[in-house]
Amino acid sequence: MSNLLEIHDLRARTLGGRDILKGINLTIAPGEVHAIMGPNGAGKSTLSSVLAGKPGYEVTGGSVLYQGRDLLALPADARAREGIFLAFQYPVEIPGVNNTYFLRAALNAGRRHRGEPELDAAQFLKAVKEKLKLLDISSDLLQRPVNVGFSGGEKKRNEIFQMAMLEPRLAVLDETDSGLDIDALRVVSNGVNRLRDPQRAIVMITHYQRLLDYIVPDHVHVLSDGRIVASGDKTLAATLEQTGYAHLDSAAA
Amino acid sequence: MTISEQVAPFVRAFRTAPGISDEPEWLCAHRDASIRHFAATGFPTRSAESWRFTDLRPLTASPILPAPDAVPNASERALADPPPSDPPPSELSVPTHRIILVNGRFIPRLSRIGALPPGVWLGSTADTVKARPGLIAAAFDASEIVGSQPFAALNAAFFADGFVLALEPGAVLETPIEVIHLGRTDTPVAFHLRNAIIAGSGSRATVIESTEGSGPGWTNAVTAITVDADASLRHIRIQNDGSEAIHTALTRATLARGARYENFALTLGARLSRQDIQVALSGEGASVALNGAYLLRGEQEATFAPHVDHQAPGCRTDEVLKGVMQDHAHGVFLGTIAVRPGADQTDARQLNRNLLLSPWAHVDTKPELEILADDVKCSHGATVGSLDEAALFYLQARGLDETTARHMLIEAFAADVIDTAALGDILSAPLRRHLRDWLGQVGGAA
Repeated sequence: MSNLLEIHDLRARTLGGRDILKGINLTIAPGEVHAIMGPNGAGKSTLSSVLAGKPGYEVTGGSVLYQGRDLLALPADARAREGIFLAFQYPVEIPGVNNTYFLRAALNAGRRHRGEPELDAAQFLKAVKEKLKLLDISSDLLQRPVNVGFSGGEKKRNEIFQMAMLEPRLAVLDETDSGLDIDALRVVSNGVNRLRDPQRAIVMITHYQRLLDYIVPDHVHVLSDGRIVASGDKTLAATLEQTGYAHLDSAAA
Repeated sequence: MTISEQVAPFVRAFRTAPGISDEPEWLCAHRDASIRHFAATGFPTRSAESWRFTDLRPLTASPILPAPDAVPNASERALADPPPSDPPPSELSVPTHRIILVNGRFIPRLSRIGALPPGVWLGSTADTVKARPGLIAAAFDASEIVGSQPFAALNAAFFADGFVLALEPGAVLETPIEVIHLGRTDTPVAFHLRNAIIAGSGSRATVIESTEGSGPGWTNAVTAITVDADASLRHIRIQNDGSEAIHTALTRATLARGARYENFALTLGARLSRQDIQVALSGEGASVALNGAYLLRGEQEATFAPHVDHQAPGCRTDEVLKGVMQDHAHGVFLGTIAVRPGADQTDARQLNRNLLLSPWAHVDTKPELEILADDVKCSHGATVGSLDEAALFYLQARGLDETTARHMLIEAFAADVIDTAALGDILSAPLRRHLRDWLGQVGGAA
């Protein structure tokens, strides 16, 4: 088995709504970093939501194989325990749920699933300290309720920190660069780069080429009106920066 | 049913109750006036605004008379249903002064009052009536009867026991007082508990009450509290009666200048319950914190009715009540904060938040402010919602199964009020434990 993820002719819509994904084909191997770019409304966030199993979407055709298995048959929590991680565009504030408590529960849910022993509080704390150091994140976020009162940059850093702790096989970063100033973008990007791994694939969904200056992808795809209309290496992103998306829309039409 | 038909069995039971004639004259007179009051009013009906949301039929359909062993001066030997041989486990992890009541009667064998510091009286109500009648006479003044709740009048007529805590000025009780009431009966009988807490000026104490049991008993408690100048009282009440039980409770507190009263009410049990808390802030700078939660399931019906009366300037009310309802449960919140003319610089907040976990659960909520002073800061609000789907997905997207994710969100919703109350680790621990136990019995999906 060489491919981590194989998407064939994936079609999806919002429940009772219009078609958004109109036949996506995409193959991702372990170790690869893919960027999916495209204009607003192209279906970028729908693609990440369908991969993560978010309610409110309906797959009307096609298939998604993850490690050779039917991903779409699994509920969201099972996908996460199988190693899929979605970094949210808008991380949700959850008052009353302590960040550390939540993350330890999530980590141990994955470990139980893989037949590994759960981490006790001390072991967990040790792992947390290692990852914080790796990502250059301060520990005060951990004692607060999940995302509550976090700045935009703190929320995105917290997502990458969770990714570091949960060690996914496939990470989908949904507009992780949105709302970040240049310093925060650098911190988050450095974090992601440190999490690049031959066993791990990363899919970056972004509107802007800017992120790709910091996290250099192996492959770039352009999503437009629910289809991938162009694929290439990192130079495609630079081309898009000059030409914009408009001519690709007309090519696809 | 007419009122006279409804009240006749109670009047008859009162006239034939043993023991009452042995009591001090003022108490006999008080009981007599109370049964007359009840005979005139009967049970509340839904035509009264403050009772309109509460279906009292389980309580009124047939008369629930006092338990035969819960009448004044019954001895423990005479108890029809012998109390358990072992004391129930403590709610707290620290030593306490402990009073155990079974079916409305104090059981010395199970209790452990222990050594009390000077200036502190703690005893059963029956013992206090005999040994220190002056202490509680004040809690039974005639004004109590006028305009009294029918349940309070029935309580005054029939109560056999309860607990009395009295602190002389300056007395400080570091060890918490723990009062546990066990109601155990196979037949529908009533346990009328009468309690009093008298905190002299500058005194300080903590009382944690809990009720539990099995069977169709009706616990009807009245607690009269006075907190004198600059005194401070913490009062936790955990209602964890059995699923067939009925529970009504009236807590009435009067706070003098600079006094502080903190009440936390956790409602878990009973098929039908109502908790009235009436606080009079009668001295300048007094403050009250009324926090709590009702966690309801099945066909449970619970009403929480706090009433705070700002009579003096510069007083403060902080009130947060949270409800979680699943299945067909019904919660009612009737909160009133009244600010009298002249009670300037009042600072009062009232918030009722509800979480509905099933399409059949429902809640009626009426947070009210009646402001008759000019210079005040008052706020009130109520929310009713279901679990946040976005938060649920966020937790699941990190690998938590749906049941775990739901429990985490429900616990966060309810535990927030425990944090707000800021009672410290020792007193918060049993509240958190009950919350977690309750969640353990909540299903995952809606």
